[in-house]
Amino acid sequence: MRAWYFSEMAYHPAWEKGLARGSLRVNFPSENVDPVEAGKLLNRYLDEFALCDEVGLDIMVNEHHSTATCMTVSVPMALSVIARETKKARLLTLGNPIANRPDPVRVAEEMAWLDCLCGGRLEMGLVKGAPYEIAPANSNPGRLMRRYWEAHDLILKAMSTTSGPFSWEGEFFHYRNVNIWPRPIQQPTPPVWMTGMSVETGTLAAERGHVVGTLLSSGLAKPMYDAYRKRARELGWEAGPDRFAYAAIVGVGKTREEGLRRADIIADYVRTAPVVAEPFSNPPGYNSLGANVAILKSGSRANRIVTDRNGVQIDHRTASVQQFMDTETVFAGTPDDVYTQLKAFNARMGGVGHLLFFGQGGYLSHQESKENIALFGKEVLPRLLELGMPETAAAE
Amino acid sequence: MSRHINVAGVTLDVEERGQGRPLLFLHAGEGLQPQRPWLDMLARSFRVIAPHHPGFGGSSLPDWFGTVDDIAYLYLDLAKQLELDQALLVGSCFGGWVAAEMAVRNTASFAGLLLTAPLGIKIGGVLDRDIADMHGMPRAEFMKLAWADPSLGAIDYAALPDTELAGIARGRESLALFGWKPYMHNPRLRRWLHRIDIPTKLLWGDSDGIVSRSYGQGWQAEIPGATMETIAAAGHYPHWEQPQAFADRVTAFANTL
Repeated sequence: MRAWYFSEMAYHPAWEKGLARGSLRVNFPSENVDPVEAGKLLNRYLDEFALCDEVGLDIMVNEHHSTATCMTVSVPMALSVIARETKKARLLTLGNPIANRPDPVRVAEEMAWLDCLCGGRLEMGLVKGAPYEIAPANSNPGRLMRRYWEAHDLILKAMSTTSGPFSWEGEFFHYRNVNIWPRPIQQPTPPVWMTGMSVETGTLAAERGHVVGTLLSSGLAKPMYDAYRKRARELGWEAGPDRFAYAAIVGVGKTREEGLRRADIIADYVRTAPVVAEPFSNPPGYNSLGANVAILKSGSRANRIVTDRNGVQIDHRTASVQQFMDTETVFAGTPDDVYTQLKAFNARMGGVGHLLFFGQGGYLSHQESKENIALFGKEVLPRLLELGMPETAAAE
Repeated sequence: MSRHINVAGVTLDVEERGQGRPLLFLHAGEGLQPQRPWLDMLARSFRVIAPHHPGFGGSSLPDWFGTVDDIAYLYLDLAKQLELDQALLVGSCFGGWVAAEMAVRNTASFAGLLLTAPLGIKIGGVLDRDIADMHGMPRAEFMKLAWADPSLGAIDYAALPDTELAGIARGRESLALFGWKPYMHNPRLRRWLHRIDIPTKLLWGDSDGIVSRSYGQGWQAEIPGATMETIAAAGHYPHWEQPQAFADRVTAFANTL
């Protein structure tokens, strides 16, 4: 199991105000951010990313918009800085929200440029984006995934075509001369990742051989991984753990208490992230018809509820660190604790090759963030790298 | 009763009630809601033909179909297929936009056009929101703007069967598909409204918080000879909120044609 450190570069100084207004996203006015303070935080967070390279971690960056929860507005901008400050880490965008991007060829150019800059260390996530990203982008939530797939196909073709230009006249995108310079070092393209929470996504990712990741909920992850493995088998290949990724908060400490405390602080991110004004949480067409029927019946709270291993419903906004551990949103404790938890998780999931290590969630100080990264890198990572296919799954 | 009509490869779920002059009714973004009393009241004086728009109710939404232009051409085909003559074309809210898109193209089947609180055109400047952002406010606030008395519009979703809930969710998704960007209007439509060559009436609820009466006056200024009336104690959906007053106005308009 590889481990990819990420943080959303939160602007936590505004969280209390946002929580009081009931929305940290979309309609939370930017008068609540002090840009000088934002700049200091961005530099601090970039230092934390740079430290990861020294301790052997890989690095992941994502992006959100109009929010105090995440100041990364552009994956390629953040990774450009990180690419210059790192030497060994592989660099993952998870991802480029391509269903909300008006210009997929621009995405292909940026990713190819980054791959050149970092010497072929890029891994390229192409994601649908969260529901509350629809409003800042003002992209149509109707037929969102059709637009996603057309952008996906165009990006991969743009990156892998060396004898261009070619033309593209699709349902959503039109170009007459696609011919990107430079082209990526990794041909035909850097490894492609997707994110998802459904069986359908698992199946579609398997058909393309992409890595598929999911966030913070093992209850949703397992059926998606299983669907992937099943579809891969139908297509004549075995999907190993390296096709699967899982994002979780990890708090490591010299003592169990310290690890739990760090995880609890980072978990404030998960408690605040779903707090968004009602109309932006579920734009029509974003979710499936079945999910929307359930939401009409139960109210919009349905989409921030996850279930733990025993099927108990947990509300992310109010969950305790122990409840988060029960949903495998959090792994925490001493290095031994965290390794033991991840080993068991790996077995339950049938082999997960990538841990997306959410190691800074706002209030965790720079010093503690560095200690969390360093201790994880020194004491947990070497053992994780040895962790492959679980014996039970291999025996199936 | 409802029946299915195939037009240009789209299966339309159509409510058809009553006898008399044909009246093609194009429903609001919130759907047809034929169980409310408005439809039967209209059907006392007209042969009402009320399709569920593609992607709403039981009407199909083929992959190739996805714009208001598509709906306009589809209903022009429907009118021809049903051999409508001297019909009344009535559109509410989103359906008013569709009706106007039809009328600037071809009015051969129709004797008159009645638009009730239509969406579809842009009047103000770049910073003006002519049409309330129905998708940028909580549902409760939308209901307050859309109804003079929101309790009349309330729907107990928990009491509805899954098939009806799926119909509602599907309609909401389709409305977004057709009207998300530019938001609920066609920036070019206003410049072509002068082509409407049949008598036109605009009806407005006096408590409409979705589109204002001054927005209605913008429509009136562009359509030759158009008149405008308001209905008291009604919001954005006068046909639902004041169905008798609405039916009376429609009948009075038809009698002038």
